Amino acid sequence: MPAPKLSIGVPAKGRLKDAAASLFEQAGLALRKSGHERGYRGIVQGLDGVEVVFLSAAEIVHQLKAGHIHVGITGEDLIRETLPDAERSVEFLAPLGFGRADVVVAVPDYWIDVGRMADLEDVAVQFARAHGRRLRVATKYLNLTRRFFANHGVAGYRIVESVGATEGTPAAGTAELIVDITTTGTTLKANHLKLLEDGLILKSQAHLVAARAAAWTQGTVELKRVVRDRLSGAS
Amino acid sequence: MAAESARKFEALEAQAASLLDGFRKAGYEQVAPSIIQPADIFLDQIGEALRGRTYVFTDLAGEELCLRPDLTVPVSRLYLERHPRAEIEARYCYNGPAFRFQPLGPSLIHPREFRQAGIECFGAADRDKADAEIVRLAVEGVREAGLKPFRLRFGDIALFYALIDALALPERWRLKLRHYFWRPPEFHALLGRLAKGERPDGDGAVAALAATLGTDDPVRAEELVADYLETKGLPLSGNRTLGEITERLLDYAADLRADPLPKEVATVIDYYLAVDTPSREAADRIAMIGQGAGIDLGPALSVLARRFDLIEQAGIDLGPARFATEFGRNLEYYSGLVFQIEAGASDDASTVAGGGRYDGLLRSLGAPVQVPAVGSAIHTERLLAAIRGLA
Repeated sequence: MPAPKLSIGVPAKGRLKDAAASLFEQAGLALRKSGHERGYRGIVQGLDGVEVVFLSAAEIVHQLKAGHIHVGITGEDLIRETLPDAERSVEFLAPLGFGRADVVVAVPDYWIDVGRMADLEDVAVQFARAHGRRLRVATKYLNLTRRFFANHGVAGYRIVESVGATEGTPAAGTAELIVDITTTGTTLKANHLKLLEDGLILKSQAHLVAARAAAWTQGTVELKRVVRDRLSGAS
Repeated sequence: MAAESARKFEALEAQAASLLDGFRKAGYEQVAPSIIQPADIFLDQIGEALRGRTYVFTDLAGEELCLRPDLTVPVSRLYLERHPRAEIEARYCYNGPAFRFQPLGPSLIHPREFRQAGIECFGAADRDKADAEIVRLAVEGVREAGLKPFRLRFGDIALFYALIDALALPERWRLKLRHYFWRPPEFHALLGRLAKGERPDGDGAVAALAATLGTDDPVRAEELVADYLETKGLPLSGNRTLGEITERLLDYAADLRADPLPKEVATVIDYYLAVDTPSREAADRIAMIGQGAGIDLGPALSVLARRFDLIEQAGIDLGPARFATEFGRNLEYYSGLVFQIEAGASDDASTVAGGGRYDGLLRSLGAPVQVPAVGSAIHTERLLAAIRGLA
């Protein structure tokens, strides 16, 4: 019986895809698709016993949680959003230095009376009185938002789910403020949004992560160490 | 959790049938509101804390729906559907499932799917009498189901509002204190800030702008704020209005000029919130705190006394019952009486029933006027578990 392989989830699309591929390249572990070009399985050149599974960054989180893959590369934002108690299901092996993005709370820049999270609750009270409803927060980070707002004592809001062009929702009138990722802040500025002083929810980047629920053998644990050392050496 | 056994199902059904029988005999019409509810109403009224525990989904037509997390809102909607002008007095009872996500996983005491049997009374003008009626029916219900011993706990949200109204405070602070009441840690922090006279901080330019705004001429103040936004290139592009921004800057300016909250006032609030007594001593205790501060809590205190009188006249022994001013601070839609029935005598007692008055809810669900409303729900699985000694 052949030894069990170490399966690695690698982003197959989205903003992490290219950076992940070149990191493996730099680490001397070039990824090769096996089978036809559009397949979603692959191998690592120069490292036997490893099987690559190409998935979306979000799907990698689910596969890690279920233990269907041993390790994966995905954004910390997605891990923290999807797994309420992340450390219980996964082990963060190494930050990889790409895919950096801050998850932040941003409000329209004409809200000159608002600078901090504490102001938001006061605005929520006023907004409910004036408009008869709660402040709406557009985001795809439902859980991160809920936890962060609760920690800051902000309760008078409701979330509207938004999976694209979140930064446009306040001007469009479908939300009053947003929780979203930003790298340089340019998009926020262009949309007349500003960060709250204490509104940084998470400084995220891509991580190499191991699944606690996966079936580990001596061989796969050793391979995990090799992959971690090579990738963090190259990042 | 595995499906319940047929035997447990039968026991729950029998228990519910007897509870409903008692409610119907008391004049409560049995209703069965929809299990699937529009998500919007719950999310807007109850907020994100409960949303995090509500099963929300989008159906194939794109409508955002939820499995009802409780029955009070669905029954209130049913009342408004039948009586859109909300002018009719009505009493309803129900038994049916409610659904809540349990972050730590479902368990016997915290199931994700449970049945509530309950009563709601709308439009009864004599509020104290309706309060007493609801408490009596809830207590009789659990008692006849076989629960003993149990403990009663009371609170009263309206008393806190009366206290805040009676104290010498600027209205903007009253609004804040009322609002933060529901979140004790933030409330405590706010009180501390006001008492220390801590000045609001913020952007220097904005603080300077606020200082130039005169409180006596709101129109002029709005013009000044509009000019400022224009100069800085900050377009008004969302739902918050210029008036709302200006109003908060005026509050800010007033805070800059205001004296700190007098220490005595903060102390009175702290004393009040520390009251936890046998229920029949509560009115005297609170009256004493008021007298010490030279304020009169007026009708709110007589309501407390009269309500307890009526509950006793209905045959409920209030001897072991307790009243705490803190109680109910996590249940945002209540507006007056709050109560719960706890099984067992120990501190880790389990709540088998709870309820209270929610005079503001129907208005926010679309009623044209404020509708007096009070109700109670019994957690039937917990009640059965408590009776069988499993809790």
